Order: sequence, then structure tokens, then C-alpha cells
Amino acid sequence: MSGFAAVLRKDLRLELRSGESTLALLALSMLVLVVLVFALDAARVRSVDAAAGALWVAMVFAGMLGANRALLAERDNGAMRGLLLSPLDPATLYAAKFAVALIFMAVAEVGAVILMVLFFNLEFDASIARLAPILALGALGFSALATLLSAITGRTRGGDMLLPILAVPIFVPALIAGVKASAAALAGAQLASMGDWLKIMIAFDVLFVTAGYLLFEHVVGED
Amino acid sequence: MNSSAIRNWLGYSTLALMLAALFMVFDYVPPEAEQGIAQLIFYFHVPLAWVAFASFGLVAIAGIFYLWLGDQLWDDLGYAAAETGMVFCTLMIVAGSIWAKPIWGTWWTWDSRLTTTFILWLMYGGYLMLRASADDTPQVARFAAVLGIVAVLDVPIVIASVRLWRTIHPAVLVTKQGGHGLEDPRMVATLLVCLAAFTALWAWLLMLRFTQLRTRSRMSALAVRIAFATAAASDKQVMELG
Amino acid sequence: MSAPVVETHSLAKTYGLAPVLRDVDLRLLPGAGAFIVGGNGAGKSTLLRILAGLEAPSGGHALVFGQDTRKLAARYRRRIGMMAHQSFLYPNLTARENLEFFGELYSLADPQASADQWLGRVGLAEVADARVRTFSRGMEQRLSAARAMLADPALLLLDEPFASLDHDGAEIVATLIRGAVERGASVLATAHEVPEIDGVEFAVFEISRGLLTQRAYKEEVRRGGRIRSLLGR
Repeated sequence: MSGFAAVLRKDLRLELRSGESTLALLALSMLVLVVLVFALDAARVRSVDAAAGALWVAMVFAGMLGANRALLAERDNGAMRGLLLSPLDPATLYAAKFAVALIFMAVAEVGAVILMVLFFNLEFDASIARLAPILALGALGFSALATLLSAITGRTRGGDMLLPILAVPIFVPALIAGVKASAAALAGAQLASMGDWLKIMIAFDVLFVTAGYLLFEHVVGED
Repeated sequence: MNSSAIRNWLGYSTLALMLAALFMVFDYVPPEAEQGIAQLIFYFHVPLAWVAFASFGLVAIAGIFYLWLGDQLWDDLGYAAAETGMVFCTLMIVAGSIWAKPIWGTWWTWDSRLTTTFILWLMYGGYLMLRASADDTPQVARFAAVLGIVAVLDVPIVIASVRLWRTIHPAVLVTKQGGHGLEDPRMVATLLVCLAAFTALWAWLLMLRFTQLRTRSRMSALAVRIAFATAAASDKQVMELG
Repeated sequence: MSAPVVETHSLAKTYGLAPVLRDVDLRLLPGAGAFIVGGNGAGKSTLLRILAGLEAPSGGHALVFGQDTRKLAARYRRRIGMMAHQSFLYPNLTARENLEFFGELYSLADPQASADQWLGRVGLAEVADARVRTFSRGMEQRLSAARAMLADPALLLLDEPFASLDHDGAEIVATLIRGAVERGASVLATAHEVPEIDGVEFAVFEISRGLLTQRAYKEEVRRGGRIRSLLGR
């Protein structure tokens, strides 16, 4: 798996050098939350449902941007061709790009959670800690899906508009589960009580990581 | 049996079954006690749902075969199934809305079946937008195949999550449809005939569209061969001149 | 007679309705070198991309190391080095980082040492730690050559390797090609015109209107044999 490590290291190095994508992701998360604060008029009411919903909206948008950015590095100078030419296995390439997208999304999530607590008048307490596994499951599933799909949309005319159109309906089950579980966690519930939602998210994650791994080779080739 | 014979056979069967279905729905079956006449839409709703989901499954199966075998035929089948399925999915959503209004006074309700069908509709839309936004190359056909497969794998999870969602927060207006509430055997018979009629209609439209796409693919292949032949013919000219 | 490194049978490729390659038969034996000349759009780059496994043929077969190019296993891809119009390099990485990355992808034992060595060979040792985005086109082309030859490939597919190079740069790349051929690599390169490379004999093919039309195109090419040059017709 040296190819996986090489690609991952290269992408992290590129990102650390420019910081462009991280900044864009954090900015996007913040702006989405701001819009929702005003749209839901959340400043007055302390609502965990609104907070959880806003958090997930921010995450989905950040996740799409992150997946796009993960594959963007290969657009200059035909770098993707260089990778396809090499002994690197497409499935390994998928794993590396998925990992990059996941890292991006995780960074955005941390920022979004902090902002959520601030904007929606919540507390930094144990309920936030209980959010972590839920958000992790969501990020896993969405990154896996978005990495696969953005390899498709990156090369069609619809491009940027097409990724949300394809990703969001497919993501709905994990979104429902994630928002419900997050709202419950913020309201004080224990993880054990959300078993059903978590099972749905785990099923989604397993399905899409596997599907991405197996199908990526069909979406990266030329012609 | 060649394809136009199949199409004709399907066409006539559809006509016959549809007439039978219409008769049974409007003349034969007794209306349900609680919901009255509006409940009749149930006999169209369920078959439409069945066909919409089945067509989607076909999109995925065709996608798998296309990725495996590479024959353009499977891509044409998948595309035809997506377009046909989209039609029925749209009809189902419209039917759902028509039902909701007289029963509950609202144009839409997020009950579990309608919600799931709406998600399906969005997935169909995404597939069709992908195909519309790109040229007709083998690469795009592969993209569409992957999308179809991925979306279909998702459907069971969608159904499970939406059902769970509605159990915890039941819609204000709860539907009572499904195979369970059919007391009268005439209702069962009507439903079965409607299922057959809509399946025939779907198969017929699918065949029509599929044949069109096949013809187009064959014409493209032929055009390529003509291009080769033309180039070869003008080789001689070039050599004679040069 | 050993098995050909590169072999095509009635290779055809269409983009949409336009045939770019039609009925191309080519054989390249191990250790042999060939240049394919032709104008823009003649199909040279397409042919190389098909041989590299980047594109699938529309008709006919292409075989590299005896394997169908559509399904090249990793161990065969490791033995192919390619230069194209695009450099495949990452603009925001330094020259050294780029070579080390490709060294890792190609499972070199010591990517750092190899990177240093090749940077020296292409005359970029001084700018090793500069980002590729600061390079001129010629410097990028030289680095691309280093990237292609880094893993000591058995087959070099070079698409216009001398494009954008000044005299010194061309000398460097010619030396590298000579070195590769001396080590037993096979070279299949394209160009607008046949270049002069001292000490190496290349066979020359012409590609025009999708066909390999040179008189000798059906003959096998041997290392050290007489070249039948296309020029001077």
C-alpha cells in the first residue's frame, strides 16, 4: 500500500502548502450556518433541532467541496493520466482520495460544530462529545459517496451543479439518520438510544465505501 | 419473434389490460368505506410505484452488464429504462398529490411511501441530467452505469430510514394503504389486473424507447464504418495524385 | 526471435464519427527504437496513449509486453515510461518532491536518491527545491523526461520529446534516450520531423490520415539495422 501513503502524503503536503481548500471549506461552513441562523431565526430560540439541521446542511456542502478539492489536484498538467499510467491501482487511488476528502470534511466539521454551539446558543458539554461518533459516521459515508461521484461530475459539462444533484438524494438516508441522532444527542440522549439511526448510518457507510472501492476504476479511465 | 412483433403484442396486451383495468376500477370494485371515491386512485398508485421501482432496478442491472460486457446494447437498455421509469415515477407522484388533496386537504404529505418515491424521482432526475449534460461516449455510459448501480444499492437504505423517520414522527395524516386493508376479494382482483396493465404499459413503452436507442446506436456504428470506407477510398486518390 | 515489446494489429480509433487511426500494424522488438512522424492531428499522440493503456482502441488490438493494453497489470505498467504534451507534474510541488512521489509510486528502493540522480542528469539540480510552477516550459519538459525514465522502464513512449526544448535541453533528452537504448530499453517516439541523435539508429515511420504509410511499415525493426528514412522522398 505504499501507493496509498504516497498519494495521501502528496495531497496533504499540497494542502498544507496552500491552505486554500481548508480555508474555503471553513468559510463555506460558516456562511451556511450564518444563512441558516437568519433563515430559521435561531437567535431567539434555543433549539437543538434547528442546530442539528443547520450543522448537517453545513457538513453536506463542505463535504461536496472537499471531495471536489480532493480530486482537483489531479487536473493540472494531466496529472491524473500520470497516476493512471503508473502501477497504482485505481482502487488504491480511491482509498487515498477518500481519505483526503474525509480529512477535509473532518476539519470542516470541527469548525462547524464550534460555530453551531456559538450561533445556536448551545453549551460545550458532554452532548457535543456524543456528537463526535455520529458526525464521524456521517463524514465517512458522505466522503465515500462524494469522492466516487465527483470523479464523474468533474468531467461532465454539468460539473459543479451536478454533484449536489447526484449526491443529495443518495445521501438522504444517512442525512435523516444523522440529523435525528445529532438532535437527540444535543438534547441529552445517550448513544445507546439511537441504535437504529446509527445502524442505518453504518450500513450506508459500509455500502458506499465498498461500492466506491470497487467501482472507482470505471469512472477514472479515459474515453 | 422479431422486435416489432414483440412491440405489437405488448401494445395490444396493454390496450386490453388497460380497458379491463379501467372497467374494474370504475365499475366493478366497491369503493372503500372510509375514503370513498378518492381511494380508487390507490389502484393506480400501487402499480405505478411497482413499475417505477422495477424500472430503476433494471437501470442498475443493465449498468452491471454494461460494465461487465461493454456491449452498447446494455447501455441503451439502461437509458431506456431510466426514461421510462421517470415517466411512471412522475405519474406516481402526481397521483399521490391528487389523492392527498381530497383526503386531507393538502397537496402533499410526507408519508413514507410518497417520500421514498420522491427520493427515487430525484435519483432518476440526476441520472437523466448526467446523460443530458454529457456527450454520448462510452465513458459517459460507464458513468451512468455506475450511478445507476450506486443509486439502486441505496434504495433499501432509503426505505428503511424513511420508514423509521415516519414511525418516530408519524405524519399528521396517516395513510392506510397497502395490501393489508383489502377486505373484498374484488379489490384484490382489481389490484392484480391494474398491476398487470401498468406492467404491460411499462414494458411496451420501454420496448419502444429501447428500439429507438438501439437504432440510433446502430446508425452511429454504421456512420463510423462509412467514415472508414470513405477514408480508404480517398487513399487511392491521394496516392494517385501524390 | 524474441517477442515484440509493442504490437498492434489493425488498430483503429475513432473519436465520435472521425477515424483518427485506422488499420495500424506495428511491431517493435525489444531494444529497438522507432520514431513516428506526422503532422498535427495525424494520430501520433492517440497511438501512444492507446499503447500506454490510457485509452481503449475502437477496433483491432494493441499489445504491450504481450498484454492487452486495456488490461495492463501493475507489473507491466511499472515498466512503461511516458512523456506527453502534458507533463503530469504537480505545479505546487518542488522538482524533487515530484520525482520522489513518482519514485514511490513506481516502488523504487530509494526514491530520494533516484530523484537526486535524475535531477542531476537533466540539469535541474540547482532548482531541485523550486516549485514546478516557477519552471519554464523547457525545464518542465526536462523534468517530465526525468519522471518518465526514473524507474528505468523497458519501454519508453515519448510524445514529441523535443518540443519546447532549446539546444541544450534537446541534447540532454537525446543523451537520456541514448542511455535508455544502451540499457536495452525500447523506444517509441513521435515527432514532427526526424531528429538527429548521435549514436542511435532509429527506424522511421510516417503516420498520415490514420495509417502508418511508410514503405517499411510492415517490416520488423531491429536494433543496429539500416534505417530507411522517410525524408528525401
